[in-house]
Amino acid sequence: MNENETYVSKDPFDEKIEQLSPADREKALKVFAEKINREFAVYFNSCVHCGLCADSCHYYLTHQDIQSLPAYKLGLVIGIFKKYFSFMGKNMPGWVGAKSFDNRMVKEWVDSLYGRCSLCGRCSLNCSIGINIAALIRAARGALAAIGLVPPGLQSTIETAVEKGNNMGIKKDDWLETASWLEEELQTEIADPAARIPMDQKDARYFYTINPREAMFFPLSISAVAKLFHAAGESWTLAADSYDVTNYGLYSGDDETAGMLSDRLVQGMAKLGCKTLVLAECGHGFKSNRWEAPEWLSKKYGFEVKSILEVVAGFIREGRIKLDPAKNQEPVTLHDPCNLVRMGGIIEEQRFILRHAVSQFIEMIPNREKNFCCGGGGGQLAMTQFSQRRLKAGGVKAEQIRKTGAKIVATPCHNCIDQLMELNKHYQLDVKIKTVCELAADALVL
Amino acid sequence: MLTFMKFGVIIAFLFSLVSLSYLVLKTFSHEKKKLNAEPRGDWKKGIIYAFGKGMMPWEKESARNHLPTYIGGIFYHIGIFISLLYLLIVILAIQLPAAVILPVRVLSLAGAIAGLALLAKRIFSPVMRALSCPDDFAANIIVDIFLILSFLHTLLPAPSPVPVPVVTLFLFASAVIMFLYMPLGKIRHCFFFFYVRILFGIFYGRRGVFQNNFCHQGGKVFLIINFLVFLRALVP
Ligand code: SF4
Ligand code: SF4
Repeated sequence: MNENETYVSKDPFDEKIEQLSPADREKALKVFAEKINREFAVYFNSCVHCGLCADSCHYYLTHQDIQSLPAYKLGLVIGIFKKYFSFMGKNMPGWVGAKSFDNRMVKEWVDSLYGRCSLCGRCSLNCSIGINIAALIRAARGALAAIGLVPPGLQSTIETAVEKGNNMGIKKDDWLETASWLEEELQTEIADPAARIPMDQKDARYFYTINPREAMFFPLSISAVAKLFHAAGESWTLAADSYDVTNYGLYSGDDETAGMLSDRLVQGMAKLGCKTLVLAECGHGFKSNRWEAPEWLSKKYGFEVKSILEVVAGFIREGRIKLDPAKNQEPVTLHDPCNLVRMGGIIEEQRFILRHAVSQFIEMIPNREKNFCCGGGGGQLAMTQFSQRRLKAGGVKAEQIRKTGAKIVATPCHNCIDQLMELNKHYQLDVKIKTVCELAADALVL
Repeated sequence: MLTFMKFGVIIAFLFSLVSLSYLVLKTFSHEKKKLNAEPRGDWKKGIIYAFGKGMMPWEKESARNHLPTYIGGIFYHIGIFISLLYLLIVILAIQLPAAVILPVRVLSLAGAIAGLALLAKRIFSPVMRALSCPDDFAANIIVDIFLILSFLHTLLPAPSPVPVPVVTLFLFASAVIMFLYMPLGKIRHCFFFFYVRILFGIFYGRRGVFQNNFCHQGGKVFLIINFLVFLRALVP
């Protein structure tokens, strides 16, 4: 399929859309209406169709089609608001761009709101008015989720997390075995039998969570963090059951499931009596558990929630660990994950760590909250039917990386790592991709 | 006739005010999102950013990359604001000194030119056409006519040689149409813009996003780089 084409192939998911009944659509509209809070209602009345958000979006920059333009995607959502919830939209729909929520529109919602947006929020920063476009697109995704229209790959990731306790479906025994194997490796590597990867340690200060991909494919990133905790002499623990920092409910738009997944970490904290929930290098996991979960669960957390980057930067600042940048000689650049940086506020910590851990650190332009999305967010990595578009949209990031001339791309997010690895191959960037903690652990002076 | 038209403008303005207030109340009848997550930064700093640096072209890529539209937009909105003040002065039959009339004349003309340029962009750019609905064109045209008539009105000699200049009648008529249309179409964004910027500031401010840019040395360096990039963009 040409990546510029609308997603039209006949598959069971498409047929499901075609067979939607008026009652299904009504249900979606009802859920959509429930999601309209004061903030959203204000946004719905504010887009002036100036089009200035266009080239802030990596989809538009790489595809140059109207469907990829943020204001167009937003217009699909606002059009429905106008049609069903505004005076002019009800009475003069054509005049104000109101749109009917028929099956064709549902299909376009799926195609554009799931398939052409990584919820990166870059357009919001550049919107003339300041509309939180990503939040509105996510709300519309939530309405689709209510009628079972989350694209299959994303939905199955969520189901696995709900049923198996983690998004990779790792069995408890396998997880415990992996952790114990990593502990042995760590002890051998640093020649210290006292080095530990604690599991279910009651009253530990830090309750550390991981992205299950680490246990499955990148165990060295767990060892890296363990090494840093050990060097700092910190009290910390992993959990046998609640350890998954990811939350794909953030991407499906289903607040209830998202809340349920995040609540597992809250329960884990309560069970072990830890003081601080520490989130692994995972952009969306950070955004979900630091910023969104207290809203999904309608409660204030009685404990601190931190990114591992804040913790490690703290170790360096307090002189509890010493890093030797000479141990990482190759030039390093940094990719800022949107959910952690632009929408999470963790901006300087990773830079502070890298400046202590590597000899040559080169910033991408633009960077920090203005950085471009790699294209892997928004559940794109799980939605295989949109993977060609995802790769093409990642072209902006590939170019940014190439221009730095760096040999290593550091990024504090495992989803970004997956996308960057694909971009590395696709665009022949010839770089290595590492987490920030991996580089810090490599530079550790023990 | 003049009194009747003045009365019409006032009625249309009140209609606009009441309708927009109703719209705002309706919008505010939706539940306010409760923020439970512990803030990491200062929402007040976010708001200051949203209304200050956050709108500057060296800080905002979309403004930097579309400088003519950005500058046009600024002149357009200044022109509208000045013309509305001027309308009030005309209704109150206050004679302005020539020194004051001149900037009003320049700004209303600049606003009108900017408005027409933005309209041309909407008509001739395929992307803008695809994004637009009739309301976008109508709102622009209605406001442009008001600006043009404001400008023409500033050219009238004072005192006027005729008791009721036709330009005045047209200016009032255009104001009536503009006020009546305001709550129905996109001009209403003038009411919501400020609230959206506040929400924007709160969102990023609480999360400590911009704070990092201005509190750390790296942020200042980045700001300078951005300013230099902006200057470079000015060079053809
Ligand atoms: S949130 Fe990101 S991907 Fe989605 S429309 Fe905005 S810029 Fe594009
Ligand atoms: S920049 Fe904002 S106001 Fe302008 S078209 Fe895009 S979303 Fe709408």
